[in-house]
Amino acid sequence: MEARFQDDYGYEVVLRNNKLTSIDTFRRRGVGIRVLVDGSLGFAATNSLSIEDLYKALESAYTRAKATSRLRKSPIEFSEERPGRVKYRVAEKRPLQDFKVEDAVNTLSEIYRAVEGEIREARLVSVVKTLTLHMQEKLIVTSDGGYVESYTPRLFIGVNSTLLYQDRSLQRSIEFGASGGAELIDEWSPGVKAREELRNLERVLVKGVAPPSEKVDFVLGSEVVGLVVHESSGHPMEADRILGREAAQAGESYVKPDMIGRFRVGNEHATVVEDPTIPGSYGFYLYDDECVRARPRYLYREGLLYEPLHNRHTARLFGVSSNGAARTMNYASEPIIRMSNTYLTPGDYEFEELIEDIDFGLFVKSYMEWNIDDARWNQRYVGLESYIIRKGELAEPVLNPALEFTTSWFYSNIVAKDRNLEFYPGTCGKGEPSQGVPVWFGGPNVRLGKLRVGVLR
Amino acid sequence: MSELAHVLLKSLQGKFDEVSVLVEERSSLMVKLWNTEPSIVQSWLQTSIRLRLAKSGRLWILSYESKDPIYIVKNAEEILKLASRVEESELHAPLPEPGRCSPLTGAFDPSVESAMNDPSRLVEEMTSAALSQGAERVAGTLTLTKTSTTLVNTRGFECNEAKTSVEAYARAFRGEFSGHWAHGSTRLDIVAIREVGRRAGYCATITSKKADISPGEYNVVISPLVAGNLFNYLAFMASALRVLMGFSVFAKYKLGERIGSEVVSLHDRPRDTTLPGARGFDDEGVETFDKPIIEKGLIRSILHNNATALKSQLKSTGNAGWVYPRPWNLEISEGELREEEIPSVIRNGVIITNNWYTRLQNYYEGYFSTVSRDAALLVRNGEIEGHVGKVRIATSFPRLLSSIVGASRSRHDVSWWEVRVPTRAPFLLVENTPLTKPEA
Repeated sequence: MEARFQDDYGYEVVLRNNKLTSIDTFRRRGVGIRVLVDGSLGFAATNSLSIEDLYKALESAYTRAKATSRLRKSPIEFSEERPGRVKYRVAEKRPLQDFKVEDAVNTLSEIYRAVEGEIREARLVSVVKTLTLHMQEKLIVTSDGGYVESYTPRLFIGVNSTLLYQDRSLQRSIEFGASGGAELIDEWSPGVKAREELRNLERVLVKGVAPPSEKVDFVLGSEVVGLVVHESSGHPMEADRILGREAAQAGESYVKPDMIGRFRVGNEHATVVEDPTIPGSYGFYLYDDECVRARPRYLYREGLLYEPLHNRHTARLFGVSSNGAARTMNYASEPIIRMSNTYLTPGDYEFEELIEDIDFGLFVKSYMEWNIDDARWNQRYVGLESYIIRKGELAEPVLNPALEFTTSWFYSNIVAKDRNLEFYPGTCGKGEPSQGVPVWFGGPNVRLGKLRVGVLR
Repeated sequence: MSELAHVLLKSLQGKFDEVSVLVEERSSLMVKLWNTEPSIVQSWLQTSIRLRLAKSGRLWILSYESKDPIYIVKNAEEILKLASRVEESELHAPLPEPGRCSPLTGAFDPSVESAMNDPSRLVEEMTSAALSQGAERVAGTLTLTKTSTTLVNTRGFECNEAKTSVEAYARAFRGEFSGHWAHGSTRLDIVAIREVGRRAGYCATITSKKADISPGEYNVVISPLVAGNLFNYLAFMASALRVLMGFSVFAKYKLGERIGSEVVSLHDRPRDTTLPGARGFDDEGVETFDKPIIEKGLIRSILHNNATALKSQLKSTGNAGWVYPRPWNLEISEGELREEEIPSVIRNGVIITNNWYTRLQNYYEGYFSTVSRDAALLVRNGEIEGHVGKVRIATSFPRLLSSIVGASRSRHDVSWWEVRVPTRAPFLLVENTPLTKPEA
């Protein structure tokens, strides 16, 4: 049995251009209880913290799990672990709890001041900015001795912009997210970055040409690479998906249990790491929500399917120990296998070296649209800030190049990686009810083989 | 009527110019299935409290999942100290004249509540129906919910209504092929739950052949699940605040302009008590009413709350959302096609029975793509030739809506992971639809 008190609180401020749109303060505080009864798993959550209601929740979890246990053909079992007994807090130089709503409004207003008037030829129709402060406190106890108490503050800023030029338009979401205090805002310089990027995107909108119709060498920017590894190495290496537990929701995986350690999906450059312990990361934690100690894992190692993400249930089925991947969104969520911070390891090239011998190619730096099939094989990314590469240099901008490739194509066609490892924040959705958890995804800029590029129709 | 709502209103009125309290008490059960057996049984007993507080043009929304009124009042009072330091919200508008409290009746089915303690039979009915079609394994969920919603505000509105909901969806597998179906209702109907399993099993086993297609334009039939997913995105963009922000395909159109073919009609149906999104009043205390969003291809309504309506010099459409107006239930109009005739009507094309991961490149233009999952079937000369695998519809909403040339007579009430606003939808026939897939 496991009981988890979880308190998620904070606020979100939204500005449209220079006008305050909304202030939303939130607090989700309650207890989630999970029990294993006669081989059947039950979970109940309540936000009423009276002893009476907690017992009522426990009773629901127990009786309903027991009632459906006859439908199970084989009992659910958990791996034996040495659960943690710790307390930890994420350090903040400027605690988020002291960052007031008016500070948030000022921060977002400064972003708008940094970009307004900078767009000269196109029209900046709207800049919608969001700042979210999210404090998360957890206390987890398990019947086999686990006790983990933690405090994780997280900050997020999003800038969504719409640019118009003649009959063309372009939209972009720029995002910043990490764990820590308000000092993160100075590190990010969101106004400066938004201004630089919107200027570049204006060039794409005004001067952008159609993507090349022939197959070309292309270079994928770290933002897109990060998303590719999240979608096509992180998700397919979640052991619950591999076993089919998410089949009716987020889907299954092209990976089957007997492929681990045997199947090669890519070449020697294809090494993907998943690491919850990166200090300051958006997906940071030191112990998972089953009280198992977190550690870095290689998902793909030099092209080989290496180690799936496990909780105590899938670890038992695979005959291994859990590697601490169970996470929850809030008190009302069951712990399920989630990514934290996923990245393609960097190489040792400079960016200029990646493109210097490309005679005619394409560089896709950022994206807006993306998706992947539910086995995590067939994927698509539509570029936003993109450029033709001509004689080893970035040349004219390109509008909306649509890239479609398979997982094995991507990991088998990595020609070279630069040394610039960058991370990007995201909220990853999975489970039923759907749970959104904060993650980072990242990687270097990557040169790939030749690919035909599509257009929007 | 929630005592908590009244306690909070009484404690806060007089301190703010306007106070609204929305309390939702929810009890629910979900059985999640994996390889034809439960992976977990989840239960929730939750009270969520939302406050809308206005003072001198400043507006705050507070959301709590906590039942402690003392804490909530204390927190709300701290907001007061900020009032003079924060600028006015562009979305502040006085609460509207309170509407009539006419709670919906017929949206509460007592048998849903009684099934919560042992849903085993319902689960077995769904999985057995799938297996009877020849499926080898079944995944899915069955969710039963009882909700009581209370709204009180300082304009004198107070109303409470109760409803139940049932959401069932199943994904059946045979070998490498799969099929999926879903159902959502306020009422427990064992026949409908069995039908979810049967249709999922049928789609998984309809053929065991594979067929190959090249990227290109095809006549496509989309199932009610696919239509539900895509029209959810469309309705989301019909929210007036999304339009104001430019993150909507409706931003470049005026009311009355054409966005789709004559065949396309989409209604918001809050008063339909059979669909789980039913609500008699919106979050501002305006009585809800059914309305067309698109009628015979023409844009008829953008969804408003009082604040967005005032900005557009219109009246609220009863779709508040204190910040974002939102749809309640969706209904896509039926047509003349009979389901069993679909392969012969399409003659040559692709039937896409389910999709997921719809994402937009540009909300203003409506460019999007979505990926098929489960059965996507090639039809040649009116016969199903085989599964084409995972393909992508990659087009724009205006193009898709303009290319819809037919709809089935029968419609299905769907609600699942990818269709969050319950939707009554037919099969839709869409001409010349771009389908893509990777070359490499």
